[in-house]
Amino acid sequence: MGLNRRDFFKYMAVAGATVAGSERSAHAWQSRAPSDPYGCLVDLTRCIGCRKCEEACNRVNALPAPDRSFEDLTLLDKKRRPDERAYTVVNRYVSGEIDKRDQLVPTFVKLQCMHCQDPACVSACIAVALTKKENGAVHYDVTKCIGCRYCMVACPFEIPAYEYHDPITPRVMKCTFCYERVESEKKLPGCAEICPVEAITFGRRKDLIKVARQRIKKNPGRYIDHVYGEKEVGGTSWMYLSGVPFEKLGLNALPEKPMPQLAETIQHSLFSYLWSPIVLFGMLGGVMWASKDKSDRAGNGGRSGNGKEGDYKGRML
Amino acid sequence: MTRTGPGVILTITAALAGILFSTPALAANPSPAETAAPEKVVWTAPDQEEAEKRAEEVVPFVEAVMDECRLCRQQRLRDVGLSVKDQSESYFLLNSPIIRKTEDHYGPVRFMHAKHAGVTKDCALCHHYRPLDETASETTRCSACHQEPFNKDHPERLGLKAAYHQQCMGCHQEMDKGPIDCAGCHRKNVPDHKDLIQLAANPEPFEVTSECLRCHKPAGEDMLKSAHWLWKGPSPYTLHHRKEVELGKATIATNNF
Amino acid sequence: MTHHAAPVKAKFWTPGVVVLAFLMAAGAAAIIARFIGGIGYVSNLTTARPWGLWIGVDVASGVALAAGGFTTAFLAHIIGRHYYEPVVRPALLTAMLGYTFVVLGLMVDIGRSWAIWKPMLYWNPTSVLFEVAMCVMFYLNVLYLEFLPIVVERFKGGVNLPGPLAALNGPIDGLLKLADTILPKMMWFFIIAGVVLSCMHQSSLGSLMLIAPTKLHPLWYTPILPLLFLTSAIAVGYPMVVFEATLATKSLKLDSEMKLLTPLTRFTIFLLGLYLALKVGDIVVRGTYVYLLDFTAQTNAFLIEMVFGVIVPWLMLLSPKLRRSRQALFIACTMIVGGVLVNRINVFVVGYRPPISEANYFPAIGEILVTVGLIAALMFVYRFIVTYLPVLNKPEQEVSA
Repeated sequence: MGLNRRDFFKYMAVAGATVAGSERSAHAWQSRAPSDPYGCLVDLTRCIGCRKCEEACNRVNALPAPDRSFEDLTLLDKKRRPDERAYTVVNRYVSGEIDKRDQLVPTFVKLQCMHCQDPACVSACIAVALTKKENGAVHYDVTKCIGCRYCMVACPFEIPAYEYHDPITPRVMKCTFCYERVESEKKLPGCAEICPVEAITFGRRKDLIKVARQRIKKNPGRYIDHVYGEKEVGGTSWMYLSGVPFEKLGLNALPEKPMPQLAETIQHSLFSYLWSPIVLFGMLGGVMWASKDKSDRAGNGGRSGNGKEGDYKGRML
Repeated sequence: MTRTGPGVILTITAALAGILFSTPALAANPSPAETAAPEKVVWTAPDQEEAEKRAEEVVPFVEAVMDECRLCRQQRLRDVGLSVKDQSESYFLLNSPIIRKTEDHYGPVRFMHAKHAGVTKDCALCHHYRPLDETASETTRCSACHQEPFNKDHPERLGLKAAYHQQCMGCHQEMDKGPIDCAGCHRKNVPDHKDLIQLAANPEPFEVTSECLRCHKPAGEDMLKSAHWLWKGPSPYTLHHRKEVELGKATIATNNF
Repeated sequence: MTHHAAPVKAKFWTPGVVVLAFLMAAGAAAIIARFIGGIGYVSNLTTARPWGLWIGVDVASGVALAAGGFTTAFLAHIIGRHYYEPVVRPALLTAMLGYTFVVLGLMVDIGRSWAIWKPMLYWNPTSVLFEVAMCVMFYLNVLYLEFLPIVVERFKGGVNLPGPLAALNGPIDGLLKLADTILPKMMWFFIIAGVVLSCMHQSSLGSLMLIAPTKLHPLWYTPILPLLFLTSAIAVGYPMVVFEATLATKSLKLDSEMKLLTPLTRFTIFLLGLYLALKVGDIVVRGTYVYLLDFTAQTNAFLIEMVFGVIVPWLMLLSPKLRRSRQALFIACTMIVGGVLVNRINVFVVGYRPPISEANYFPAIGEILVTVGLIAALMFVYRFIVTYLPVLNKPEQEVSA
């Protein structure tokens, strides 16, 4: 009975090969970010919390009517998240700072899909339902979606929402960056168009970074010296400027490494050209062949013993 | 302003035409001079006509401005002798086609220019820059420099809508004076209910109410808490009589759908 | 060497089977509710917590605990330890049913069950889930093909359909005979493919969470997560065989098979030891041991997983005396099986903590009913198949090497 040492080493060699593959260094991960995407710069020092962006978003995307009117500004104090009925929401934060009239100075934070340069959701999607478009939008194609919700697991901003109450044809719901409006109709995203104070600046991402840097430089007292989204998770198409530290506004610190990098590197180094399965297959075949010969010699083989298949049959049946 | 001459003539013509043919004032519908269809007799003040006409103008875009600090700007205005007294109009209608292109939710703001100038006594507060072109007028209208938003060649130049809002609201907040909510300056454009209402030919009163409530549900609920709904009192004719009757919507007696 | 698998001659409707049927009915009701009211109607899944009990148990744990199939096939057929062949068939059946119910669980969990075929058309090679899905799909077919000879053995030459279907007796018998000639010639390929596909997707299941570094607790989030998943799946293979064989032989009053199970767990000492070493090495190298005594729900779950799921049973297996005791062996193996189950639940549910919304999750009664119902159905079908097909060893038969 039992396992002799040699067999064990054979087995270990196989396991070792698998391990070695997965441990191979992150040599050639390539970003697939578009070179010159559009983006939006949200200047939180400008936002007045009027919720017009929510209203415009609801209108241009034909989303269901909200439970409470967009003119109801009391909702701002609830810490809401974008959901399957609202691609964007505005929340009010107070840092404790008080203005000349003894009023708390509010900071309004608009939330929506950040349209990452290297989106985790796109990398994760099982069926290419999510894609990063050249114009910067992370686009969702419902016709390919199977509803696995891996995109929602992957998203570092916890943005994609799901129509959990639709039994047969639920959709992943998230900001579209008004893909059709921007791409075909050459219009602005609904929220950027309606914003009364240009808290949302629409433009090429690289121009926006310049604009943001310029605003900070021109008015260093007004801004935190950080463009949120410039580097976070490898860069996002939507970026933020703020006068209050971002961590206090629900905009968490995130690594600069793109989210998909590690998983993609491992997958790529293990499975490019399916080399490791093929090698493993060959090794196992060799081991099988060798052990068959040996067991034949030892006389405990199958009844027929004329080749693998007969051998197998004898043992199995 | 280079176009003042023809502009004034045109405006006067329009005003005359307006008076002669009693053109209806069309706040939401521009091009007043041409549509002189004498339908309803609605009188419009000549200065209103003029302001509407002026609001329709789109002046050439000023590419370059003279970037100077606030103090330098105030000094320059003093040097050229411009002050609050040099005003041509008492008010402007802020109804530029640049904004209307993307926006129809609110009516135009009537900006009381003279009043604001009189209170602040500082032209440089709003006329913060001047065109770089020496021949241009010292002060220009907002829409000379602020036009379409997100101009690629001028990434930091605000669009007209944002310039208005940032300037007005920022200053109102700063001075703790003047409205900072939407309705403080704008009238909301109510959508045409002709297409929205779905009623049969001869509706019952209840049907009318429920049709209103289809969209205005919170308004209906608020109504139920208001004095209009809750008022109740004795009828003057039955007061102190044997068969005293309570009137009011809160009773089940009268006028109560 | 010969061993004889045969249909079990025992009463089918035992009280235990009746209980299984009730649980199945409750699960079926929950599944019907899910397809009428939507996932949100029966579950506590939200935007921030899109994966819950169904993914953690039905899918991830289901795949891990079906590892007995490929590990025994490797042992008996690839490195030629024919001594262990009596456990291959039950392990194969467990794996086949395990994977079948993984797919059924997925059908309940994914929003558009009818679209489950779409990844075959729209390939996303960067997606770990795509790779897992493809492997599971192929492996499920491999498992069916590996199991087919058992069906052939039972019905070959004896197809006897009732009534009007009798006309099909001839053709079906012909098909079985054809399968009987072709399948054995191909079987070596399927056996190796099964092991390769298993290694691929067992490890990739661990890679799934690598895309969410900010969400998975650092005690579990490690670049070697795929390796840990693979080693733990391999390590749990034989304990799962022991667990399942002990349950089956005990409840069906068959021979205890301790002669096989005791030596089988000697491999586990090494495999589980390797897993333990990797796990300990990982928290030491990354310095995550600093979290161990945080006493949050997550760190407690990690301690439970490691102490009761790995360390204690490993120490138990080290003792030859305990390995020879049927009861002690069963307890140790159950703990290992439970440890892997807890590990998968920890990685996909407990350790998953969305940092922005900090949403909590506890499975709804509907989710629990579906999961319990599916497990009951699996056991029910297992019971049904061993009653009619030659899977388990005939009692009173000498098992000799």
